[in-house]
Amino acid sequence: MSTASPSSAVVAEDVSKVFFSGTDPVWALEDFSLTLEPGSFTCIVGPSGCGKSTFLRILGGLEERTVGEVTLPAGEDRIPAAFVFQEHGVFPWMTVLDNIAFGLRMSGVGKAERLRTAREWLERVRLADFADSYPHQLSGGMRQRVAIARAFATGSPVLLMDEPLGALDAQTRMLMQEELIALWEAERKTVLMVTHDIDEAIILSDRVIVMSGRPGTLREDITVPFDRPRSFEIERDPEYSALRARVWDLLREDARTAEETA
Amino acid sequence: MSIETRTDDRERRTLVAASAQRARDRRLATRDLVLSIATPILLLVLWELCARVEIIDPRFFPPPTRILAAGWEMLLSGELWQHTAPTLMRLAVGGGLGALAGIVVGLLMGASRALNAALGPLFSALYPLPKIAIFPILLMIFGPTELPKIIAVFITTFFIMQINTVSGVWAIDRKLLEAGAAYGARGMDRFRFVILPGAMPFVFSGLRTATGTAVVVVTAVEFTGATTTGLGYLIWNSWQLFIPEKLYVGLVVIGLIGALVTTILSRSEKLLLPWRRER
Repeated sequence: MSTASPSSAVVAEDVSKVFFSGTDPVWALEDFSLTLEPGSFTCIVGPSGCGKSTFLRILGGLEERTVGEVTLPAGEDRIPAAFVFQEHGVFPWMTVLDNIAFGLRMSGVGKAERLRTAREWLERVRLADFADSYPHQLSGGMRQRVAIARAFATGSPVLLMDEPLGALDAQTRMLMQEELIALWEAERKTVLMVTHDIDEAIILSDRVIVMSGRPGTLREDITVPFDRPRSFEIERDPEYSALRARVWDLLREDARTAEETA
Repeated sequence: MSIETRTDDRERRTLVAASAQRARDRRLATRDLVLSIATPILLLVLWELCARVEIIDPRFFPPPTRILAAGWEMLLSGELWQHTAPTLMRLAVGGGLGALAGIVVGLLMGASRALNAALGPLFSALYPLPKIAIFPILLMIFGPTELPKIIAVFITTFFIMQINTVSGVWAIDRKLLEAGAAYGARGMDRFRFVILPGAMPFVFSGLRTATGTAVVVVTAVEFTGATTTGLGYLIWNSWQLFIPEKLYVGLVVIGLIGALVTTILSRSEKLLLPWRRER
């Protein structure tokens, strides 16, 4: 499908995940396929329990898939995909600087180089004054900026984000969305992000993948037409409202079912 | 102009009220400190007076000044050190090695599912066994040497540290273990950067518990007559010879050792785990 350098694309083919709850098999994911173009920003939305996080975790190597194929771009000695967790993902026992440099340290980058890269990212997420602080001294938004900087700093071509802004208050969240757009537009990594926020998905991504309720399957693959660089201005566009309504229509039924069976 | 004066005035009054509040907070803090120091002093003075006028029997409760005098005398004659040194040595060697072994085994058990399956139930079964109860067996095997006493302290510390360390590893947030895995921390790296620092808070609380228990065990072991040195022996022997002053001196010194070790531990915790400060 992808014409431009398919070797650096993320490809998942017919991935299924089944686990047992007591004696009953539970299908978390069923024959889920997805190809991410290199340098694209994709969001997955879906009702809770649809397996969107499971899929992300399978891509990140944090969970085993039952069947299916997953291909990530082959990096040299770097981590193939850097993960951003919802919260509590930064190490409380490391300073902000060491947290950001952690991925580089694990992939064997020398001290001088990894500290230089980490400092550079510290600047870019506006935390230069907090290099030697510990995470508990930061606000929730600052901690997530550390988590995002840590992922970018690895130099990994693929970033996997599991509701990275999900635990933040509404205003911090909007500020962080703007920051994330700016960082990504400068870096153009391949990003796959799970979110439950439709607005966030539309504002940030090139493509919105809508998943069905359990077992998770692909319901619709929507291309977001807005030009980049983007800002919240697009919310005033009538096309935005139409897109938002379309995604919500797709989700509404499953969201209700998920709510009632949860 | 008049509005400006009024706002100035209001601002000044608000600041005055705020400083009054702060002064009150400080006064309360000072009062708490004075109370915490004054209470034990008051009790000691009360003890001294009651013993002097024989409201309490000075044969059982010699006045604190007399205990202090006895302690000073024992210090000068070298008798005090003669009993303190062996107790310290038993605590340091037995407790130190026991803690080290307990932490290492606990970390390995916390990190390896197989090792935990193999040793976990066994250790859990052995843990509630009063370690002092096996002291006669140790005496039988090693004879009246230093070894059985050190081993008794070692076993006590080992079990407490092993159990606390395993709990510490299990208490690490799953997200952090995953973050470690996601960023490529495997093998020794995982151990050094994730498991070990993550378990440290539990390790330190274990060390505090173990200190208290080790002091109890070393005293009990020295009570048994398997030795003629140590603060436990001093206490027991003074009771048998009915020299209550020396008995109290032994009690005070063993208490001070416990307090000292606990203080060193909490200081080093602050120093070694700066990320836990201000919590």
